[in-house]
Amino acid sequence: MGLLELLSFPFMQHALVGILFAGIAFPLIGVFIISLDLVPLRFAMMHVALLGGGVGLFLEVDPLLPGLLLCGLASLALGPISERAKIGLGTASGFFMTLTLALAFILFYRGNIHVLQAFSILWGNILSLTRGDLVLIAIISTFIVGLVLLFFKEIQAILYDREIALGVGIPERGLYYLIVFILGLSIAVSMRMIGALLIDAFVLLPAMAASFISRSLKQLFLFSSLFGLVSGLSGLWFSFVLDIPTSSAIILVGSVIIIVCGIMKRRFGVHAKK
Amino acid sequence: MHHSLELYDIHLRLGNVAVLQGISVEAAPCEFVSIVGANGAGKTTLLKIANGTLRPDKGKVIALGHDLSQYRNLNFLRKSIGVVSQKSPANRLPIRVEEAVLMGRSGKIGMMRRPGSEDRDKAYEAMRVAGIEAFAKKLVHELSGGEQQKVALARALAQEPLILLLDEPTTYLDQVSQSEIMETIHSIHHERKLTTFMVSHDSRLVEQYSDKVYLLQDGKSHLIR
Repeated sequence: MGLLELLSFPFMQHALVGILFAGIAFPLIGVFIISLDLVPLRFAMMHVALLGGGVGLFLEVDPLLPGLLLCGLASLALGPISERAKIGLGTASGFFMTLTLALAFILFYRGNIHVLQAFSILWGNILSLTRGDLVLIAIISTFIVGLVLLFFKEIQAILYDREIALGVGIPERGLYYLIVFILGLSIAVSMRMIGALLIDAFVLLPAMAASFISRSLKQLFLFSSLFGLVSGLSGLWFSFVLDIPTSSAIILVGSVIIIVCGIMKRRFGVHAKK
Repeated sequence: MHHSLELYDIHLRLGNVAVLQGISVEAAPCEFVSIVGANGAGKTTLLKIANGTLRPDKGKVIALGHDLSQYRNLNFLRKSIGVVSQKSPANRLPIRVEEAVLMGRSGKIGMMRRPGSEDRDKAYEAMRVAGIEAFAKKLVHELSGGEQQKVALARALAQEPLILLLDEPTTYLDQVSQSEIMETIHSIHHERKLTTFMVSHDSRLVEQYSDKVYLLQDGKSHLIR
């Protein structure tokens, strides 16, 4: 079956549109995660999204909706809670991570949810995206790109050093919380597309590769989006050519891009050039 | 506007430790005031209180004629208070020197607006004064500790502050560079008629440049010169 023939199927068209939006926008969140050291927060959000999925299965509604709701609420609450309790965001994330995982297991147990059903939340499926999913992905992606374009100057200062951003008169706390909120929503949507276990394919891997070769924040954002798009589209294509799961194919392409960028950095000193 | 900075009877506990126990220090307009003390005496904490990053448990801070406790949002004041921190950012984000200095203009430019040619001119002037114009296109994390300190100074100058807060600005420098940067700071202080507040552990270095010197010891302040 040829590529054009494949694209005549609605599920393929949906996957393609999903990748176009998420491939460009979600790696920008990866830049935030790497620069602001939000890896524990990302883990916490993955577990909150899992709890949301569990709630969805328990109530027999679309798991994406409670996932989005819980991730949104948790990401809004995490910053102020860690600030009031005077604990780091990492510690607060650890608390959320274990608590939500425990609650998810209770739901799976009490709701007699089959292990394979629960596992489907962890795996995700980019080929099962509905029109409603695409609308959500488009809205969140547009919001992420808009945030970066409109507040680039402020975001640059916050990613460089939050204390400096505050010192020069930028309302850094509000913007930082907005970044955390968007991160929560992106993780919930990524889980539907690619599954909790492989979220990094869209969010983190492209930003990691871009960080090897970028010499400005603009380049970092642009390369991240480019790599996200390339790994998403070629991963989708390879998954059909090689008959392998789409999520895994996207991860493999993303990993190859990281290795190539790492070699470019080491051999040609792309990033270390003075 | 009064270009003065006054801190009265400042108390602060961090955890179980009473770091500041009734500190009173003041800098009149255009005065160069230094605060010396051993490591851990609370000097950096005091600077954070001075620009409102930290709120004291008790006491009053009056900066540029405004009582800081009366405001929830201090961004309007921070635009006029330049800060040079002791430590440079630890991350390896690809930020060029000119971009890091231009950040000093952010508060003045306003949200969602891009820097104009006037802002860039002011950033380049600040780099020239700090002696880092030649590094403008380099990444900040490629520079030495001393050069990064000058980037922080240039950023504070680009801000066109009325008050300049300096947290051990000579920490990473050798002796020759220490004198060099202190001379630069001192001449900027006079040329721009700044009110300068500097903390340092090196009392001998700061004495020759300061109008007033306070010693911070056991959570209390003592005017020693």
